[in-house]
Amino acid sequence: MTETSKFHYIGKPLPRKEDRRLVTGHGRYLDDIIVPGALHACFVRSPHAHARILGISAEVAREMTGVVGVFTGTDLARWTNKLRLAPPIEGLHPTEIETMPTDKVRFHGDPVAIVVARDRYIAEDAAECVAVDYDVLPPVTSIDTAFAPDAALVDDSLPSNLVSHQTFSAGDVDARRKEAHAVVEASFYQHRQTHVPMETRGCAVLWDPGREHLTIHIGNQVPHPLRSQLAGRLNLSESQVTVMSPDVGGGFGQKIALYREELAIAALARHLKRPVRWREDRAENLMSASHARENLCRTRASVTENGRILGLELELAEDFGAYCFYPANYMSRVVAMIVTGPYRIQDYAFEMKVALTNKCGNGPMRAPMAITSWVMDGTIDAIARQLDLDPLEVRRINMLRPADLPYRMATGEVLEDITPSETLESAVNAIDYEAFRKRQRALRDQGRYVGLGLCTVVESTTYGSAFYKSAGIPGSGHEAAWVRIEPSGTVNASVGLGGTGQGYETALSQTVAEGLGVDPSEVKILTGNTDVAPYGMGSRGARGGTAGGGALFLCARKARGQVLQIAANKLGLNTSDDMRLLDGQVERLINGEWTATGLTLADVARNAYLDPTSLPEGITPGLDFSLTYDPPPMTYSNSTHACEVEVDVRTGALTILRYLVSEDCGTVINPVVVRGQQQGAIAMGLSGALLEEVIYDETGQNLTATFADYMVATACELPNFEILHHHTPNSRTPAGIKGMAEGGVMGAIGAVTNAVNDALAPFGTVADRQPLSPQYLRSLLRDRGAAARQNEQE
Amino acid sequence: MSEARLISLTVNGETRETLVEPRRLLSDVLREDFALTGTHVGCEHGVCGACTVLIDEKPARACLTYAIQMEGHEITTIEAVSDAGLSPLQRALHEEHGLQCGFCTPGIVMTFEAFLRDTPDPGEEEVRDVLSGNLCRCTGYQNIVSAVMKAAAEMREAAGD
Repeated sequence: MTETSKFHYIGKPLPRKEDRRLVTGHGRYLDDIIVPGALHACFVRSPHAHARILGISAEVAREMTGVVGVFTGTDLARWTNKLRLAPPIEGLHPTEIETMPTDKVRFHGDPVAIVVARDRYIAEDAAECVAVDYDVLPPVTSIDTAFAPDAALVDDSLPSNLVSHQTFSAGDVDARRKEAHAVVEASFYQHRQTHVPMETRGCAVLWDPGREHLTIHIGNQVPHPLRSQLAGRLNLSESQVTVMSPDVGGGFGQKIALYREELAIAALARHLKRPVRWREDRAENLMSASHARENLCRTRASVTENGRILGLELELAEDFGAYCFYPANYMSRVVAMIVTGPYRIQDYAFEMKVALTNKCGNGPMRAPMAITSWVMDGTIDAIARQLDLDPLEVRRINMLRPADLPYRMATGEVLEDITPSETLESAVNAIDYEAFRKRQRALRDQGRYVGLGLCTVVESTTYGSAFYKSAGIPGSGHEAAWVRIEPSGTVNASVGLGGTGQGYETALSQTVAEGLGVDPSEVKILTGNTDVAPYGMGSRGARGGTAGGGALFLCARKARGQVLQIAANKLGLNTSDDMRLLDGQVERLINGEWTATGLTLADVARNAYLDPTSLPEGITPGLDFSLTYDPPPMTYSNSTHACEVEVDVRTGALTILRYLVSEDCGTVINPVVVRGQQQGAIAMGLSGALLEEVIYDETGQNLTATFADYMVATACELPNFEILHHHTPNSRTPAGIKGMAEGGVMGAIGAVTNAVNDALAPFGTVADRQPLSPQYLRSLLRDRGAAARQNEQE
Repeated sequence: MSEARLISLTVNGETRETLVEPRRLLSDVLREDFALTGTHVGCEHGVCGACTVLIDEKPARACLTYAIQMEGHEITTIEAVSDAGLSPLQRALHEEHGLQCGFCTPGIVMTFEAFLRDTPDPGEEEVRDVLSGNLCRCTGYQNIVSAVMKAAAEMREAAGD
């Protein structure tokens, strides 16, 4: 941690401030907020993947005791505006979504009516009694069928199910293919998954008819953008809406968009002039909230005899589901932009196709670009296999060296302040690569199959406004902060982020403490209330540290400047040069030594609030500061993951023997929090790669609507993670912060799959899809029965 | 739907009355009727473990239990774990960073308060086995396991073992 030693508060492993209320059961999650007189809503959802709505009969439900009303898409169409997405992106079709379908349903779980009742039990009873008459249409349930010439249209307003199609080429991949020693092809199918925050979605909405003001309590990652959306869709101004996000039980990308359910509840609260609340149940969350991933990548690498990549071509297809809550190119585009990652590849081309299907709509899930590093390092392994080279040597020969930085990727993205070869070498040293190979050979002789997988990750963390501009997406990557030193000298600060468990109250207090010069215990961080926090872009990607922490750090610096000016005046000095604030004490540099002045932040604050006429000229009363901060176009962290596995070739069971990551995420604000994020991200990656899978059958029925069917890793499936640290600060961001928290997912799915393929190498078979279930691994081995038997006999 | 009935429940040592329909879940009665919102509802089908409470000192799913079945039994919720300060387990979860969003944490605390009482010197594998009844989406479990091991050691020391 030598690089962070210049800091006093950043880099300290402080345990979290928020824990006390959470471990004692005094957290305030959405459903813990008591709203007197609130009505409860329950949605009636489509049992079909694709069907016309012929009629909705709600008389029985409406007559039930305790039912306040039953409402449909037609009602909501009168009270709300549609969601239109039409960013000016070539090859992307504009789309429009009704608040609730009036004409046809597009996936199993699509909402068609809402029952509002006195309590949740009655609302659920009544929802059972709403009869919907459907004309069932043929469903589109895969990328292949979506693109078939006779495919049914998921969105009737589009010419086909190909909602987004882009191509790109840099250099000359055709020429590279012709001059190559070999052309290596590989494919990677990542299955459909969903976020599974332990707290499901939900909201509680109050309409004040006198003030004409709407207050929505909702667990959300982006309170201000949500407010803009909600106001726009309800024909309200942004000053008529307050978003209050309480303690949130996990988000992982699922709590960004304004969903139709939440908009509908808000519209009903206003219409009924009574508070209305909705808590999603787990079946709804698994079926209807948001899904993610399900993409297929094919690579073609033109290589020299020693495995140097001359050119790379990528074909990418994504199954986006039925509705676009985000531009359909959004997730795939990042994969295509950064897939070459830590490798020197200038001749690169991609083709990207996104399909609409009759499934729940896709959204970004912790590492929207999760497949990226598996695709690239999996391609490297494919090269090694085909050319009979050492996969580590193929990595080394292609990897960016320190002298190559800053490096402009073929797509124009610039990598700087990253250390991929350092993380790779430290990871293989820690694993002891040669010793592993020896052990692997010895075990194979005993009929045991172990494998080592490596995956080097370049993680795009913080997206600045310039990135959005170059991607043609309207929007900003800035963040906003305010810092207020109160008359007693205590500090309140706020930022536009929306925490979902990242420990902001602790880590962000350290960035303010560092900028200002007070102990973090003196700083209170306020987030999640749009009337209190400044308009920022919220929490997504890994922007919290750089954008949020950076904005607070700079704002606190600004505050410190004024505090020291006032202090200098009180001390009768002409300048505040050679002065600092540390632990709330004003110090002067005298003869090269920091010396106490006896003046404290509290003294300065009293002066600023209670005796403003004695302030120096040009300084206004109070200590109230704000600013906005726009990060560089993109910041990157990097890591190398190494995973050792054993596959039981008789049963297909997979055991993780060892998991290690060597990570460089720049300046670390709080190592306790960062370590937790590293572990959590790897866990989510492994859980997805090994167990989780949203399954639709051929009629579009979702078969995984319980935790017995959609399997999330428990403590028994996950290993302990060893972490090696590097700290190369970003040279362009405040305090050198880079951000992190998604790379672990990217590295895990690549490392574990590469490890399985290393273990299975003697059988001449390759796992090119996930999840790596025992059934799947057995199916690969069954096809290789002869080889397996031969190996077992040997 | 059957008629609502007045029942009497012993929750955290206090006897409380409430009018419930027979189908009303213990989790809803605790949260809505008694305002004990520390018991969280994560799946309502008994898998995630967030709603774990103690029934006669044994961990159980409040989402799979009808309140009306609980007459004559003692229910303990997260709110009763610590009177002043934190329990050794709660403190260890804090020190080891064994929670992030914290939604699953009360269920984990209830599971292991009971477990550590019966099993003062558990092995790591045993802890992982018991923990597999509680889903956590944030932490990857490693720090929860360390926290349980640490709390166990502290409690043994305090007991003079």
